[in-house]
Amino acid sequence: MNYQFDFHFLSGNFGALWDGLKVTVQLALISNVLGLTLGFGLCLLTLNRWFFIRWPAQLFIEFFRCTPALLQIVWFFYCVPMLFNVFIDPITMGVLALGLNLTAFNAEAYRAGVQAVPREHLDACVALGLRRWQRTLYVILPQALRSALPVLMTNGIGILQQSALVAIVAVADLMYVGKSIATEAYRPLETYSLIALIYFAMSLPIAQLVQWLERRQDVAQAR
Amino acid sequence: MQLDFTVVLSYWQVLAKGLTLTLAFTLGCALLGSLLGFLLSLLRLSKSVFIRLPTGLYVELFRGTPLLIQLFWIFFCLPVVFGISVAPYVSVVLALTLYMTAITSETFRGALKSIPSEQHDACTALGLAKWNKVFYVVFPQALLRAIPPLLSNVVSLFKESALISSVGIADLMFVGQNISNSTARPVEFLTAVAVIYFLVAFPLTRLVGVIETRMLRRYAY
Repeated sequence: MNYQFDFHFLSGNFGALWDGLKVTVQLALISNVLGLTLGFGLCLLTLNRWFFIRWPAQLFIEFFRCTPALLQIVWFFYCVPMLFNVFIDPITMGVLALGLNLTAFNAEAYRAGVQAVPREHLDACVALGLRRWQRTLYVILPQALRSALPVLMTNGIGILQQSALVAIVAVADLMYVGKSIATEAYRPLETYSLIALIYFAMSLPIAQLVQWLERRQDVAQAR
Repeated sequence: MQLDFTVVLSYWQVLAKGLTLTLAFTLGCALLGSLLGFLLSLLRLSKSVFIRLPTGLYVELFRGTPLLIQLFWIFFCLPVVFGISVAPYVSVVLALTLYMTAITSETFRGALKSIPSEQHDACTALGLAKWNKVFYVVFPQALLRAIPPLLSNVVSLFKESALISSVGIADLMFVGQNISNSTARPVEFLTAVAVIYFLVAFPLTRLVGVIETRMLRRYAY
């Protein structure tokens, strides 16, 4: 191995990388907001009494879980403008694709938590005269959120990494900027290593937090 | 606009070829990755920090960075660093296997840790030698319990394998995108490709559920 590492050229591209990073963070954050809220709603739909509501919701989840995220993104970028004759800017489109993907995964994550709410709590809600939305918002959601949190956060990290896929449809995120710098400077090694490190540095703290949360939950359960 | 899904049928041979390649890459890398992942999970239980730290770092690094970067890294950087030219499919197999190794080692580690401490105590009480304990008590249970998550890993590898199209391997994704570009019918072809992926992955995810509820309840718990 006689390769000379040279990280100097990257300093000139700092601004571009920073812009890319901002897009990546934006994509990941908004998709997570979408995924966390819509995921809970979708989860409630799959537990609905009516078959005609339950079934499409479940199909939506399975379809997003069983096809590649890359394909979903490419599909959104090519097919949504054609099918609906609308033009949406690329970042919004990326958020939409990633957000709906995360919605499907989060709905599954919420489900166990929602089902684990004891029957007695629901009876108590009736006894207290809470409305349906109050029961959902103040009794079911907090408990489901609490038990699903580690999985939800892991999914969140997952979407941060999947967000790199939008580079393939030319959204100027961190990965895309890195790819073009690597091609221009002809130094793929340094560029990709740096980008990998940036993604790693973003996901590692959250992964550690998840581990800590899981340990706490294990201890709480053991009691 | 007019949608005509019958055009997909005339391309079924190309799509089938792509699917075969996708399945071949998935299965090969899943097998290799599971074996290596199992070995790695054993290494991670080691008492020595000098083994635990690098293996832990490896797993975190591969789980903490996008697979796309790993692919590009190995595809572009391996030739530069070692000065050897590697065929694209070799670097792809390498990347997918390394990724699979990292995620399955976590699966096995979880399974090994799921053996309750009472059983370890019982082994001590019965005076079983360390290796007897590992082979007759820990492994059989842990391996059975690892089957469902292992299968889910294979399904996710199957989905992630669509990324290899970005380095020019003619897998299902690549073929689908190519045809949709050349025929200017993205809606039909991309949807058809999505349906094909779904038809393969969905039964597998159902299988995971069946194994979890039927088989494991009988043998492992």
